Amino acid sequence: MAIQAAAVTTAAPMTRPAGAGGFKYLLIAPAVFVLLAFGLFPFLYSVVVSFQKLSLLDQYTSFQGLLNYARLLQDQRLWNAVLHTFAITAIALPFQLALGLLLAHHFLAERPFKRLFVALLIIPSVISPMVAGSMWRLMFDDRYGPINQMIGWILGEHVSILWTIQAAWAYPAIIICDIWEWTPFMFIILLAALSNVDREQLDAASIDGANAWQSFRYVSLPAIWPVMMIALLIRALDLVRLFDIVWQLTRGGPGNATETISIYMFVRGFQEFETSYTGAMVVVLLVLFTAVLVVALRRMEIVR
Amino acid sequence: MARWYAIAALGGLATFAVGVMPVAAQENAATKAVEAAKQYAGTTINTEEEAGLMAMLGINITGPEWQELTGIQVRVSEVPYEELFPKAMLEHRAGTGAYDMLTIAPSWVADMVRAGALEPLDPYIEKYGVKSEFDDIAPAFRDWMTFDGKTYALVVDGDVHILYYRKDLFEDPTNMEAFKAEYGYDLAPPQNWEQFGQICQFLTDKYAPQLYGAGLINTGYTYYFFFERFRSYGGRFFDPETMKATVNSDAGVRALTEMVEQNGCQPPGVQNWGFGESLSALNSGEIAMTISWPPLARWTQGINADEQALSWVPPTQVKDKIGYAITPSGHSEMAAGILLALSPNSKNKDATYLYMQWLHSKQESLKNVMRPLGLRDPFRISQYESPEFQSLWPTAKDYLETHKRAVETGYADLAILDTYKYWDSAGRAVNAAIGGKDPQQALDDLAAEWDALTEQIGVDRQREAYTAWAAAPAAYRE
Repeated sequence: MAIQAAAVTTAAPMTRPAGAGGFKYLLIAPAVFVLLAFGLFPFLYSVVVSFQKLSLLDQYTSFQGLLNYARLLQDQRLWNAVLHTFAITAIALPFQLALGLLLAHHFLAERPFKRLFVALLIIPSVISPMVAGSMWRLMFDDRYGPINQMIGWILGEHVSILWTIQAAWAYPAIIICDIWEWTPFMFIILLAALSNVDREQLDAASIDGANAWQSFRYVSLPAIWPVMMIALLIRALDLVRLFDIVWQLTRGGPGNATETISIYMFVRGFQEFETSYTGAMVVVLLVLFTAVLVVALRRMEIVR
Repeated sequence: MARWYAIAALGGLATFAVGVMPVAAQENAATKAVEAAKQYAGTTINTEEEAGLMAMLGINITGPEWQELTGIQVRVSEVPYEELFPKAMLEHRAGTGAYDMLTIAPSWVADMVRAGALEPLDPYIEKYGVKSEFDDIAPAFRDWMTFDGKTYALVVDGDVHILYYRKDLFEDPTNMEAFKAEYGYDLAPPQNWEQFGQICQFLTDKYAPQLYGAGLINTGYTYYFFFERFRSYGGRFFDPETMKATVNSDAGVRALTEMVEQNGCQPPGVQNWGFGESLSALNSGEIAMTISWPPLARWTQGINADEQALSWVPPTQVKDKIGYAITPSGHSEMAAGILLALSPNSKNKDATYLYMQWLHSKQESLKNVMRPLGLRDPFRISQYESPEFQSLWPTAKDYLETHKRAVETGYADLAILDTYKYWDSAGRAVNAAIGGKDPQQALDDLAAEWDALTEQIGVDRQREAYTAWAAAPAAYRE
């Protein structure tokens, strides 16, 4: 009887109080409004502004077509900044992944003071990148910095490498700093992923005669692949908008040699107040990066 | 009867001459400003000032003094130098009136006037000013305050680069003899850049690593140093007809190549040196020459060294050992300078102007240019002639004389439309060359960047601004 009653209840059409459909939208309205106000509106406003000629000195709100977009194509400094950003990403990201993976593997087994060392290793990631950049600037100082001193001890003679002044050294300086700060992020995520790899599968592989590399390649790696891809994606996005560390270390110099996309946009937008031109830059780069991101997500089979 | 009227009139005049004239003679812009400002007691004025020592003057000294004298409170907003201009412009665009008084550089005046961001001061000067005090300003600095025949700002800081050198080393008989034997001329402050390089090398060869021949500024404001050398070699910034940039001419390449090469006789890592490092090295006795701004003279003498705000300056080891000269170009760059201007959005224009007049006045400005705090430098004829300043340290008179000559013969900073963008790209080009880029390539890139900027601003508009700037004698000194 009870079953019958339940069946009847299930079969009966749901009756909702009048206005319930609207109420649920009312509940989410504040959140949607905030998202639109602070997410979508600035972008749409940037699109509008990108067709005008607003700058610190000129306030022409009349539309001037694609002039700013045409300028973008000829702006070598912008495309150099894109190149610099991808160069840093292309070098720093694999290093962070490889080191993070090695560390994660190392700390997978029980080690003395494991918890203490893991906690210590994570510290760089909780430091503000601005502070990390300032700290490394002092570390790289040619006169008082410990880096040159240590190299000097190793080589047995005084060295004066101008890490932040000479273009050839500025890139290693930036990349070292970024790797130092963000490898722990990669490490902690991969440690968590590796800890969750099915122990039985690893044991089975071992029994079947697989060596350590084969176990990792054919058992652990497929298991941690989605997590690793997400970690890579987060770090890649961070590197694409790299600003703080480079700003503190080199200000994008010498000249424009280490200028990243974010630094260039900051300079044009907030130091030179080329509002409309920066708006055009934002639109083009956002569209480009969104396209790249969508393709990447599909390839990585994270979003299906 | 008419005779009696005449006698009475003469008597009246005599009374005026005896009673009033002394009062007129005593009248000064400072007291006039204080008296007039008392009617605004209880108001607050907001000032935008360069963060650091510049602002410390207003926060620690002049602001509290002004409040005590007039009852007007001064609220100082500290802004980094590179943000003074954009911040003032943004506030103006938004019409916030956040700042009543603005701190600006002379080369920004044209841009700011065209944008309507500066209030003309002539009506206020007419109302409150003391003409004789305006006549007392050195002509080069007086030019800074005006644009298109109107006054828009009051100068409070007369900047110009000065060559500081170790007199004791230059006057050492052994050094003098050895130098003459090697180079065939007397060891003295260099008259050109070739001599600068030779003297630098000579002293470095003899004293390094304890002391190097020179230690110049290589980071921050490097465009000033390049612009000066470039012009001394006959360089021109633009072709006046086409407005194409000509910074990549032979003069430009020679100047930049030489700047980079001459770092070789300077301390290792000098490419990393800014204003602070250069000052520290001079004060510590590690370098024999540097080129910098005028406050260095007071710091090398240790004046007010016990002041908390100056605690970062290393104690001087070179007191009474420093000589002063015009830079090797023969025309020192009048790098920057500080003007006070009134925001058109200010709600307390009279009170603000009066504070500006008080700071700019003969009486108050003399005190400020003698203080290390505030980084103010002489700009008045009376300051050069002041017995008090001349006796501030044993060679203060030489310093003032050098400063005066440097100003009279100095190069004016490039001031055209969107000047700060041209400066910024020039600074990047210089730093790129210092960082290893081929100077010709760095300057070719700079010229291309300047051309794009000029196109964007409008060739005709920029030509007009450039022609007006280049017509002044201080532009190219020919």
